Amino acid sequence: MSNISQRDAFWTRIYEIARQDRDVVVISADMGAPALDDFRRDLPSQFVNVGIAEQNAILVASGLCMTGKKVFVYAIAPFIVLRCLEQTRVLNAIMDNPITIVGVGAGFGYEDSGPTHHITEDIAIMRSMPRIGVNSITDRVMASAFATLSCRMKSTNYVRLERQVLPDLYDENSDFSKGLSVLKDSKDCYIISTGSMTHVSLKIAEKLETEGISVGCIDLFTFPINSDLLVEKVKGVKKLITLEEHFLPGGLGSAVCEVLMDNEILIPVKRIGLSTEKKYCYKYGGREVIRSYYGLDYKGIERQIGKFLI
Amino acid sequence: MKEKGGMNKLITKLRKKSYDVRHAMLEMCIKAETGHVTSSLSCIDILVTLYYGNILNHIPKKPSYDERDRFILSKGQASPALYAILADSGYYKKSELDKFAQKGGMFGVHLQDDVPGVEITSGSLGLGLGVAAGIALGAKMDRELYLVFTLLGDGECYEGSIWETAMFASHNRLNNLIAIVDRNYLCVTDFTENLIALEPMEDKWKAFGWDTLRVDGHSFESLLPAFSNLRSRRSSRPLVIIADTTKGEGVESVTNNPLWHGLAPKGKDAETAKQSLKRRYADE
Repeated sequence: MSNISQRDAFWTRIYEIARQDRDVVVISADMGAPALDDFRRDLPSQFVNVGIAEQNAILVASGLCMTGKKVFVYAIAPFIVLRCLEQTRVLNAIMDNPITIVGVGAGFGYEDSGPTHHITEDIAIMRSMPRIGVNSITDRVMASAFATLSCRMKSTNYVRLERQVLPDLYDENSDFSKGLSVLKDSKDCYIISTGSMTHVSLKIAEKLETEGISVGCIDLFTFPINSDLLVEKVKGVKKLITLEEHFLPGGLGSAVCEVLMDNEILIPVKRIGLSTEKKYCYKYGGREVIRSYYGLDYKGIERQIGKFLI
Repeated sequence: MKEKGGMNKLITKLRKKSYDVRHAMLEMCIKAETGHVTSSLSCIDILVTLYYGNILNHIPKKPSYDERDRFILSKGQASPALYAILADSGYYKKSELDKFAQKGGMFGVHLQDDVPGVEITSGSLGLGLGVAAGIALGAKMDRELYLVFTLLGDGECYEGSIWETAMFASHNRLNNLIAIVDRNYLCVTDFTENLIALEPMEDKWKAFGWDTLRVDGHSFESLLPAFSNLRSRRSSRPLVIIADTTKGEGVESVTNNPLWHGLAPKGKDAETAKQSLKRRYADE
């Protein structure tokens, strides 16, 4: 297991690119990272700290973009998605100024910091706008790859980074251009998940295997969904499960169901995620504790899957 | 003496443009039965100074050339005024004005970035200054010499994002950034000083690290000197020009009345407005 976080993998790659390309500019809303310290020291003219001012961050980023810069805006995910949402909508979705918005702390990543620092609505919000892509990162290999890919994107890209250090699921030869990957094959049933939940889904699929139940895993990391590929992969299976650390309305599960309905694929789907019937969560003691409040801890997920499959 | 004569000639030309643009703007809004007429009227003399007073470097036939000065109309409600000027300058055909906010038209009530000569989409307030600051910073990074102008409504200075940018711009020494505040003292429902006082406005900008000027926004004698010599300004600070204006200036029947915000006069009111404008400029 690598001990490099997604954040550091991402910024290390951006640093390497920026050394060769002086049009690459990083705007930080008072957020740091060890890799960004190098960036700041070695490339000070390409680094702008706007302070805790996300609205201005997006505005300045978009202005810089209009002068031909490749701009990366960085902050804790809930703030860079929500505080400046209207700026993003006008400058990046409506006006189509392509920038990369980098948010760290997907889902309950900021654990004991409480619900102000969790982000469990961002996929729904960001994917609801034209010209904004969402890349929900699974491991540090993918984080590094999306740093490279971001520099070539012609529309705005929201990179949703996990805060926790998670094991590598991919290697340097992995192809991330298709938006989703089948990590475990199945003819009967798939769990489709995103971000940190993909790590959970693999463990659960492994356990089910020992009980004689074959469940495959699809890691879905790019929105809008690559519909053709998703349809190709799930056509013929008997059941589908979606798993996300995100509120259910508009999230991964909704997005998958939209693709299925639009393609007239009638497979029973169980969406597992955060119910809006529960309130925001003030529970402490780690991520699993917070997840259990929503029935999204291992046991809770297993229970829901068991009920659906049997 | 020669210089003074040139100035007088320019002012005479600007006064004529001031009427022409008001007339074109009023006609297009009356025809479309929509558009922010009074918001446009308050800033027309500022726009006329920029576009006809030899202030802005721009080439209508080459709207996107790299070295152009950027003009960011942050108060996108005044789009009819800018659209009339851009048509008159040759960015597109004047016949486009007849299709304002109508089927098949090039543009509508709020400012739209794909119109030739327009830099941003606005109407949502509080955004233009930050974008202008980003462009100004980009220009500095690339050692470009163009200036970035942005016109703000005074009401939009209630937006917090304006002040985020204000402190950012001075900290980053964006002396290539010039903001103009159309200080017409009127918002949608009330006068600003009744609503939440914006004064002392100059002190606010000064406290945020800006150079400030306060001018009469309807006097070319006052506006022109404020905009002259901007390229040789010896300050590291951004500049804000607070232009005192009147909402509805030039059309007495709609002047200084909150009820006229966001509207175009119709029927009898339209005739009254047209007559009112003609009378006002009859002596010029």
